[in-house]
Amino acid sequence: MPRYAMIIDAKKCIGCYACQVACQMQNELGPDNAFIRFEDRETGKYPNPKYVIVPLQCQHCQDAPCVPVCPTTASHKDSNGLTMIDKDKCMGCRRCVAACPYNARTYLKDEGVVQACNLCLSLVKQGEAPACVATCLTKARYFGDLDNPTGEFAKQLAKAKPLRPDFGTRPTLLYII
Amino acid sequence: MWANKFPRRTFLKATAATAAAVGVGDVFSIGEWMKQANAAPVTKIPSLCETCSAACGMWVHVKNGRIWKVTGQKDHSQSKGRICARGHAGIAMAYHKDRITHPMKRIADNHFVPITWEQAYGEIAAKLKTVLKEHGPEKVFFSHNPRPTNKFYWPRLMAAVGSSTIQSHHSMCSTGRDVAYKWTTGGMATADIGKTKYIVFLGRNYVEGLSPSTAANMEAAHARGVTMIVVDPRHSNACLFASQWVPIRPGTDLALLLAIANVLLAENLYDKEFVDEWCVGFDEFRQGMKQYTPEWASTMTDIPAETIYAIARGLGNNRPASCIEQGYKAPNGCNYANGTQMFRMVACVNALLGNYGKDGGMKFSNPPKAGSLDAKKYPAPPKPKAARCDGAGIKGEFPLCQTSQGIVHLMPQRALEGKAKAGFLYRINVARNAPGPELLTKGYKALDLLVVCDVKWSETALCAHYILPECCPAEREDLPAVVSSTVTMRTAAIGLVHSECKPLSQIVTEFAGYIGAAKYFNFTQDDVANAIIKPLGVKLDELRVKGTIKVKAPAPKPLSFKTKSKKVELYCKAFADHGFAPVPQWEPPYSKAGKDTFVLIHGKQGFMSHTVTASDPYLLAIARRDGLERLWINADRAQKMGIKDGDLVEVASPQAKGRVRVKVTERVHPEAAYLPAGYGRLVPFLKTGVGFGISPNDFTPSRAEAISGHAMMMEVLVTVRKVGE
Repeated sequence: MPRYAMIIDAKKCIGCYACQVACQMQNELGPDNAFIRFEDRETGKYPNPKYVIVPLQCQHCQDAPCVPVCPTTASHKDSNGLTMIDKDKCMGCRRCVAACPYNARTYLKDEGVVQACNLCLSLVKQGEAPACVATCLTKARYFGDLDNPTGEFAKQLAKAKPLRPDFGTRPTLLYII
Repeated sequence: MWANKFPRRTFLKATAATAAAVGVGDVFSIGEWMKQANAAPVTKIPSLCETCSAACGMWVHVKNGRIWKVTGQKDHSQSKGRICARGHAGIAMAYHKDRITHPMKRIADNHFVPITWEQAYGEIAAKLKTVLKEHGPEKVFFSHNPRPTNKFYWPRLMAAVGSSTIQSHHSMCSTGRDVAYKWTTGGMATADIGKTKYIVFLGRNYVEGLSPSTAANMEAAHARGVTMIVVDPRHSNACLFASQWVPIRPGTDLALLLAIANVLLAENLYDKEFVDEWCVGFDEFRQGMKQYTPEWASTMTDIPAETIYAIARGLGNNRPASCIEQGYKAPNGCNYANGTQMFRMVACVNALLGNYGKDGGMKFSNPPKAGSLDAKKYPAPPKPKAARCDGAGIKGEFPLCQTSQGIVHLMPQRALEGKAKAGFLYRINVARNAPGPELLTKGYKALDLLVVCDVKWSETALCAHYILPECCPAEREDLPAVVSSTVTMRTAAIGLVHSECKPLSQIVTEFAGYIGAAKYFNFTQDDVANAIIKPLGVKLDELRVKGTIKVKAPAPKPLSFKTKSKKVELYCKAFADHGFAPVPQWEPPYSKAGKDTFVLIHGKQGFMSHTVTASDPYLLAIARRDGLERLWINADRAQKMGIKDGDLVEVASPQAKGRVRVKVTERVHPEAAYLPAGYGRLVPFLKTGVGFGISPNDFTPSRAEAISGHAMMMEVLVTVRKVGE
């Protein structure tokens, strides 16, 4: 089984929100529900400020805190190592939302369920890239298989690190910052 | 409730699919319903985005007869397979609650009633005939944002009427630049960012005033190690890829360029051979630049003199693969009083670098030539002889302004002066996207006849006597266009959502019948499309399937300049003849910030296109969530004023007051306050976007710059003070 993963080069992120909206359309989410959000950080003093934008979404942690807290096993790890949510089992208690240190899970009010980035597995199974990767204007996102890294993904993998290793959740989403 | 388990959109899709696939009366369960809906085949239909001028090629994925999502067309030169946030969200305009669904007639302020097309055409034709009889065709004008279909149909209709005044949106966009290049290099050259070694951006922001390709090009240049200098009062997101951010006092870019020329000449860093062969007026120009030392420019621009020397030397040492990027709206487009001369200087500095036609410098495009209708079979109306009513190209008014663009934002003023009586506006929201909303609204309403053709309600539509509803991009096919070395076309992805809306070609053709101009429209849209693509060797049926097709690029042309002298006019005689400086010289902007004031600057965000997208529910949700309507103020100044991040402030100019929250940041020049453009809708009955944010246009007076007539959109000083919640 491949172990799918994504690398985000935050130095290339221009904060254009293309990935977020592409994801919302792919996953048929309403305007107020998004699987991708952004944090930005400004440092330094005028006239030499530094600025970075970090896109955030489910980190597909190997030790995912959202899984053990789920009372219905809706939150689970799948055979590709992804953290998935079985919509039919979710009762919308939102314990997983509280447990996620990356604040990367979305409660869909209209449906009464929690959902999050699923790495567009349905597209991946058809041989396509996840919607956010395919549309990223500056090619800041790379998608691949950790067990069989190829091409640009393999090149970037050496530089990529988890966003907050101190959370101890061993994410498979990796960042270059 | 179980029904809550299904998102509304999917739920509705399931309903449609059931009706189609299962048929009424069949037994089905909700599970079967969902299965059928989700398993429905997805068709991919080629279209073009319409949320900005880039018109990216994209595939519309349609499921159960409804738009699901879009993806980019790989062969399209603007999208290159990628679509921005506006494109992903904007295609759903077809389902937007703020669409105009019927022909409308205004019966009182903000009060419209639906009427039939026949009534609309009949009454518009009668009023137009009265205006023509009483005032002549010189008081009739047409304004639009030129796109393939309207560019063909509307001007033909206006010619049939006898009107010469056809205007694009450019006087609130790039007219300063466009007038300047017309008289300096005779045509528009663009920076070859793919091969340049050293490039200076003056206010132009490839990653927020973006198309997918401009953002990708900037990223690629960064990866290649190109030196990119971003000169801007604001540390825009373009600075993420820049080698250096050079903050500049608003509106003083002209001084920087004068000093760059000074250094190139003084240090012999210019291309003597190019100047000898291709420029006129070098001696006058050289003489003119002598006084503009970097030390002088430093006091004007607030840029250290050593930085100016470094930029000039960087450009000179890397020539000809170095350039000043051409800009768009930017300081040379329509922002400041000195914009036209500023672009003259951009063109002159590029000439000193000898970079025209060179790799990494400034290149003229040479697109394949499209065809046109057979004039014998389909006679066109004669070219109108009536004088223009916007002053473009007219002695004593704006003689140098190019008549292909005109001065669109001036029309309300002209209406108040009695110089314009009837206007037709297509897909252009002047009343909100140009400065001075009060005057613009008053002026448009003073016309005897204003007809607006659009897909959704706008501030400008509110001023109209009649509104003609066009169908959305997703619902219509448009005429093909040549873009780079491709031909590309929008096709209809879905059927009409509102049955009373019509494609533009049908509206114009039908209306022509009411004014006795049917003989000029004796063809179908397909006839026009076939004529356009005929010389390109492309078939319409193939284009309908592929959306974008590569065509053979013409052989490269030798370098030439289409000015009067056939050279780059460092000294421009036409400018001298009309009383303007023939060699650019320092002209300050109107607005310089004082101790208590800021120059109010604005600019695009990557996910917004002015009011075109400011009511999009997805994009609006982003702006609300991340507080992106806020006014940027420099941290030091904010501290001195006792303003903290997130505070509510009152922004005021002599013309208007408005309230907005503040973003306190190190990323903006202390003399500038930055407000993103597009927010602050003024259509009271819009379902989305009303009551969110304010517009920089509220504060800025409605004016026209002396040479090209552009709107001077950043020439305003505002005060900012903290107010209670």
